[in-house]
Amino acid sequence: MSPAPGDEGAGPVDIGTEMRAAADFLSRPPSATPADRGARTSDLSMDEEIALHSIGWEPLQLVCGACLFSVPMGVWNWGQGEIAYASNAYARAFAGASEQLHAECTKVGGRGVVGVHVEAEVYRHHVDVVLLGTAVRPVGSTGLSADPVFVSDLSGRDFALLMSSGWAPLGLAVGASFVYAPRRSAGTAMKQKSQNIELTNFTEAMYSAREAAMERMQEAALGMDATGVVEVKVTEGPMDFARHAVSFTAYGTAVHLVADQHRTLSPRMILPMDDPVQAFDVSSLRG
Amino acid sequence: MADGLGQLPADDGQVPDLPEAAERRFSEGAFTSGLTVPDFAACLQMGLEPVGYVQGFCVMQWQWYGMGSPFGTFGSPFSGGTRGYTESWQCPHGYVSAEHRGWGQNYEQSWIEDAWHQGFDGAYSRMLEEASAAGAHGVVGVTDTSQPLGDLGVLEFRVQGTAVKVAGAAPPADGRPWTTYLAGQRLAKSIEAGLAPVSIAATVASVRVWAYCVTEYLTEGSSGSWGYQSAAAEIDQMSKAHMAVRRIAREQIRGRLDHDSLHGASMITSERELGQGDAELQCILRGNRVRRFKAFDPLPAPRPTVRLL
Amino acid sequence: MSDAPQDLPEGASRRLEELEKGLFTSDLSVNEFLLIKEVGFHPLGFVMGSSIYHTGIQTRKWGQSQELTKLTGAMYEARELAMTRMEEEAAELGADGVVGVRLDVNYYEWGKDAAEFIAVGTAVKAESGVSHRNKLGKPFTSDLSGQDFWTLMQTGYIPQGLVMGTCVYHIAHRGLGQTLGSAGQNVELPNFTQALYEARELAMTRMQDEANELDASGIVGVRLEEKSHQWGSHTIEFLSLGTAVVKTSDQVTLPTPLTIISLDN
Repeated sequence: MSPAPGDEGAGPVDIGTEMRAAADFLSRPPSATPADRGARTSDLSMDEEIALHSIGWEPLQLVCGACLFSVPMGVWNWGQGEIAYASNAYARAFAGASEQLHAECTKVGGRGVVGVHVEAEVYRHHVDVVLLGTAVRPVGSTGLSADPVFVSDLSGRDFALLMSSGWAPLGLAVGASFVYAPRRSAGTAMKQKSQNIELTNFTEAMYSAREAAMERMQEAALGMDATGVVEVKVTEGPMDFARHAVSFTAYGTAVHLVADQHRTLSPRMILPMDDPVQAFDVSSLRG
Repeated sequence: MADGLGQLPADDGQVPDLPEAAERRFSEGAFTSGLTVPDFAACLQMGLEPVGYVQGFCVMQWQWYGMGSPFGTFGSPFSGGTRGYTESWQCPHGYVSAEHRGWGQNYEQSWIEDAWHQGFDGAYSRMLEEASAAGAHGVVGVTDTSQPLGDLGVLEFRVQGTAVKVAGAAPPADGRPWTTYLAGQRLAKSIEAGLAPVSIAATVASVRVWAYCVTEYLTEGSSGSWGYQSAAAEIDQMSKAHMAVRRIAREQIRGRLDHDSLHGASMITSERELGQGDAELQCILRGNRVRRFKAFDPLPAPRPTVRLL
Repeated sequence: MSDAPQDLPEGASRRLEELEKGLFTSDLSVNEFLLIKEVGFHPLGFVMGSSIYHTGIQTRKWGQSQELTKLTGAMYEARELAMTRMEEEAAELGADGVVGVRLDVNYYEWGKDAAEFIAVGTAVKAESGVSHRNKLGKPFTSDLSGQDFWTLMQTGYIPQGLVMGTCVYHIAHRGLGQTLGSAGQNVELPNFTQALYEARELAMTRMQDEANELDASGIVGVRLEEKSHQWGSHTIEFLSLGTAVVKTSDQVTLPTPLTIISLDN
């Protein structure tokens, strides 16, 4: 939505006048017929809301989805290869939470959810996934659209930037894999001790697990007919409660091009002159 | 009892007078303010004159049945004392024993929610009183906290902010200052976008999970004698509890907004596991209740830039 | 800069095949994604390489401050192997280069004396179809962010490769008294400052050698990292990293920036 025609020559807003207008408005009792009032709830920051407005979208309601999926006992005992129960629990918990988020968004009439906070925790006996975000829609649109609801952890600002360049989010693509660290036999251990060599069976196991998580994420994206996945967050590490078990998770926002082609933004380069006198700091050479 | 919107309680003599020190503080000339320098500058630019730093406290006894935890404690599902959400589950196994929990329930702990509101509203209304006494139109940069005081089994609620007067404007409709969590440039942007602050809004939802056998087994990972394969499933009772606690918080706030909107909300949920699959969930939802005061006028698309430094 | 290629695990090949079908993945932020498109590049996929290397040493109280050449070799090879595998994944996708490369080290409790070296980044390709591969015909690697890549491309310089040099140095346990008594021995450096200076120079020189192999004009964004890994405080690895660049055009299209003073905190 572009600014109204009369605004082009309006000049900067006088915030003092605006504040007085707001205070005077509050000094009167609220209007009886709230035609323009609509009980919205949103956890977006003011900057995000302004960015949304600049592309003609508005926030609707806070929506969320939660799902807990159990992991049977004994799953984390040392074994070989992938820990299927854990990978499956993670995928099912995420899918369950996403489904509820979708349903809530549709119920409030939103076209999609932005700014999703993803909380995914793996405990010894269950995987908990909670998704919380704000449902949004183009200003003034009503009724259901033919397109499926999208879900994304992009901030309102990133969503607006992406839409301005002709791309649109489709959903959260997620992949996870859990794997047992391979054991080293005593003989191999001794032989490897003094040499500088690669521990190939370890490498293979970690490598494969990492690739499996990424592959699942890609498959999820392809399933949404996406062209790409942006802002992929990859986490990996041993489980707190079972240090010999390692998890790899990857998730990002699946996107596709909706315009005929990518629209360039031509950013303006700026040089902030904010630095005080700064002495050379040798620690800046370090990473 | 006060609702979450800072309605001053009925004059039944329960609200104490302002402390003498507070009266002295406001009658003297220099103002105090919790604003940072940039926020202070932005306030002056908006024509907001800081009047003083206002605060309200309320200390609630937070011990129920002798357990000094900030979450309260167990309420029996048989006490029938809750209004609101409740959902129950029956054991599918047909196995009866003293240890086998054949019946379970999720229920809303409305007594905890009521007590929290009493504490919060008490602190909030006292802050408003201080602001009114100082002749303020509104309070900006509000922060609210609730924390246990040592080991004493009490919970202290604090609400504080900077009271301001709007130069050249009329005082609010019912003599009650408007309040907002925002301050400085964030408040200025909200005003520019056409949203006037009405009040801060905060609520708590508390749900107790009284697990039945299936929930207990799934949460503990044990399969009992019911087979290993059946132990990988969605923990329905827990998922429902998590959804319920967040839904209740949102419904409570929406019920009080009266067609105004909630912006810049923050939802914080915490869980306390009580063993054997039991748990207690608490969700605090806060935000700024705002009302549109001028027609929607979108700002032009911001110019993207890249910093060279 | 790279060794003979090693085989990639089967899982990697499957994932890369999917990417070749046209799906791209990247850990670039939205800002970086848009800036890379601005300079005519398109992301292809998230690429990774890793290797788990034995990094243990027998700790002895050596009397001399010296480079532990075997360990230097190991640390270098481990990272090289990870980077090479990442480059291979990028090459398989038909990439011109990899941006946003991150080198991380993971220590796992079950692998004592072992560490996992990981290299990750986003493979990119020029939309014009003109090859931007480096002198060795391999996709360039760089640890430049999307913003830095955008800025660099407008100066007429393009990245050639992430270059690194490493040196594992042991600092002697000897006290001052013993030091005075051993004047005349060639290897021992009596002054700790001298020892650390030597170590850092070795790391940077090796990094420079790598840049020369690529016929680079220079190295940007150089930084020096110091890690003790699992060896205790007397043994330190000095790692010097930077992006080698080459000048391709005298034309600098960098627009004059607007100078601003920001009044926000």
